Amino acid sequence: MAEVSRRDFLNALGVTVGAAAGASAGILPGPSKAEAAEPPKGKIPDTPYKIGHMTFFTGPAAVLGEPSYKGHILAAEEINAQGGLLGKRKIETLKADEAAGTDANVKELRRMKLSEKIDLFTGVISSGNTPALGPVGEELKLLTIFVDGCTDFLWDKAVPNPHYIFRITNMQSADGVTCAVATAMTWPQVRKIAHIHPDYSYGRNARDHFTVAIEKLIPGTKIVYEGWPKLGTTDFTSHITAVLAAKPDLLVSSVWGGDYIAMYKQALRYDLFKKMKFSSTIAFGVAPHAIGKDHPEGVIAGVHSNYYFNYPPQGRWPANDTFVKKYYDRWKEYPNFQSEGSYVTLQLLKQVIERANRLVGGWPDDEAIIALLEGALTVGPAGYLQMRADNHQGYKDAVTGFSMNSPDYPFQILDPKKIITIPIRNITAPPGWGDAHGKEPTATYTWIEKTWPKVA
Amino acid sequence: MTSIAAPPKRLLLYALPIVILLLVLPFVVEPYQTVLLSYGLIFAIAALGFNLLLGYTGLLSFGHSAYFGMGAYGVAFIVKYLKITSMEVFLLGGILASTLVAALFGFLCVRYTRIFFGILTLALSQVLWSLAFKFFWITGGTDGLRVPTPSLLGGQVTIALGKAQDKMDFLAHRYYYYVLVIFCVCVAVMWVIVHSPFGKALQAIRDNETRAEFIGVQVWHYRYVAFLVSGAYTGLAGALWVPLNGLTTPDILVWTFSGKIVFFTVLGGFQTFFGPIIGAVVFNYLETYAVGHTVYWQLVLGVVLVVLVLALPAGIVGTANRLFLKVRRAT
Repeated sequence: MAEVSRRDFLNALGVTVGAAAGASAGILPGPSKAEAAEPPKGKIPDTPYKIGHMTFFTGPAAVLGEPSYKGHILAAEEINAQGGLLGKRKIETLKADEAAGTDANVKELRRMKLSEKIDLFTGVISSGNTPALGPVGEELKLLTIFVDGCTDFLWDKAVPNPHYIFRITNMQSADGVTCAVATAMTWPQVRKIAHIHPDYSYGRNARDHFTVAIEKLIPGTKIVYEGWPKLGTTDFTSHITAVLAAKPDLLVSSVWGGDYIAMYKQALRYDLFKKMKFSSTIAFGVAPHAIGKDHPEGVIAGVHSNYYFNYPPQGRWPANDTFVKKYYDRWKEYPNFQSEGSYVTLQLLKQVIERANRLVGGWPDDEAIIALLEGALTVGPAGYLQMRADNHQGYKDAVTGFSMNSPDYPFQILDPKKIITIPIRNITAPPGWGDAHGKEPTATYTWIEKTWPKVA
Repeated sequence: MTSIAAPPKRLLLYALPIVILLLVLPFVVEPYQTVLLSYGLIFAIAALGFNLLLGYTGLLSFGHSAYFGMGAYGVAFIVKYLKITSMEVFLLGGILASTLVAALFGFLCVRYTRIFFGILTLALSQVLWSLAFKFFWITGGTDGLRVPTPSLLGGQVTIALGKAQDKMDFLAHRYYYYVLVIFCVCVAVMWVIVHSPFGKALQAIRDNETRAEFIGVQVWHYRYVAFLVSGAYTGLAGALWVPLNGLTTPDILVWTFSGKIVFFTVLGGFQTFFGPIIGAVVFNYLETYAVGHTVYWQLVLGVVLVVLVLALPAGIVGTANRLFLKVRRAT
């Protein structure tokens, strides 16, 4: 494999930092054409459009998951205020608690479709749940747009040829890679690395992809500790002391939600953040107000590579300005990436249904909606989102940044001057790659391993 | 040899209309209801097995998730490693896997009674859970293992009834009947077991261990066999459950699932033969609708459990029996 300098490598990846990043968005998109008050064609039924939304309402994951429901409701209320989908069909939401466990979730999805007769299923946070629910969505022939649960495994293995199911937030592998890229450009001197990840598919995915990418960007790093706390753990003391004993240059973590809040507060007591650098894939994925001012500043505080409410910055991307304002007015808090994901889900659905109506008239059937969802491009608060036709996966540019205290907010935020963005196509496997080159552990993993050059 | 008492005619008279009702159900209600009832019937098989230990032998196991889970994972391994999708092989494999584990665990557990037995069964089942959880390259970890739609009776049923493609149609009709037949067989066999001399001996052990020993009952031996039968029943339920759920995850090996099996039995009433069956079916509806209708589903189940223990310690069937007797005495 060819060797390159780190600077050339990062340039080739298209990594950009800070407010300048938005410069490429010179022309701001206006309101979508569909809103140009064109009456829908044909006869539209006025029965409600029923949507099942599943997310974490209880347990430590709720602090990350519940904003998903709030984003969904915000979009639903907005659409209903205009009379509903195509001005006729009001959205009616049924909610379900994802914390009931995978098996109960499978039952609940069936109940929603067969007994409640929902038209669309959406939500889902945990990457342990989408591989269980995806095949059930296909079995039920139920239009499904997962907000998160973004494991590569869903498309690589569980449902390789999806028809009814789609997913909005970035592919999981992007998360570990984004974290590695941000780490390499910020602290290229780190060599000894410790890991703490939740003991399930997301944690392992984050560790694997961080490791495969960092090996290309900073060859010769060594893993000095790996800790695998169970998801839902709130006592991290043993892992923290073990990390301190291993004396790493850097701690990498994908611990999320209430677990992460507990972890950083406990790590503070041991002065962990003063003794090493810290990179997280998803620290700021929780509802923003859940992060206290005591959180360490200047660490890489990931947002699942998706979205943080102050980026794109105020005044630069109207879709974000209005979304943050509306969300704050409605819920008296700021949105997280799940809120953005579930909001975009409904906006995309609305856009696709309107387009389908213009093409075929009347209420479009699921097949028409699916055909238009495949390859759809939309403008969300985070930026452009493309729904790839081959794997039904949403792609948008990856985002991460650095924590900082700002007098403007009662909680810690991502430093708006130092947001890092990476074009998504440069850090995820392209269509067709996995078919030809194997998918162990994911298509993106083998793609990075085989095609990325090594920094000299 | 004493002959096994035939079930009283009155009982068959009650059972017949219920079986007929269950048979015509798929033609009357929505597919979802039969799928839901399948879950209930499968849980009822597990509860029947569990109650052989609790109700008839006087041993409270807090580790029955282990056998349910072994049944389920046994099936998943058959699919993963042998690439077989025959339901009959699933059942055999599930029963075999769970019985093997029950043979090992039972060997260690049945020397103890009361709280020691309960804690030991719980601890051993947690070992299995952590194996399923940690050895993710074999068990799939928290992602679990998927089990495809099985072929029933060597594919005969699929051909006979057609429409092989639709999974929901399969679950709501063919699979429902399959579960129903196995359920009826299980109930009949368990009835025979508990009314056989073997079953009577178990009850004697439950009521007075010392006396039972004095009249020549080999207590350890009988308890061990009861443990094996109980494990096999629960494992069979696990094997039947996997195709319905579509996948198996460590969730069903964790101790809270053992708690659910205890809940089924206490809810229905462990001092009666039919209590666990009713309890399992009712609990399944209760949990499904609580999860579906409120985010406070844990609170709902908790309140039910508290009310049950305080107000209806005999469970649904036990309380109904008492009421029935009271009314009859009054008239």
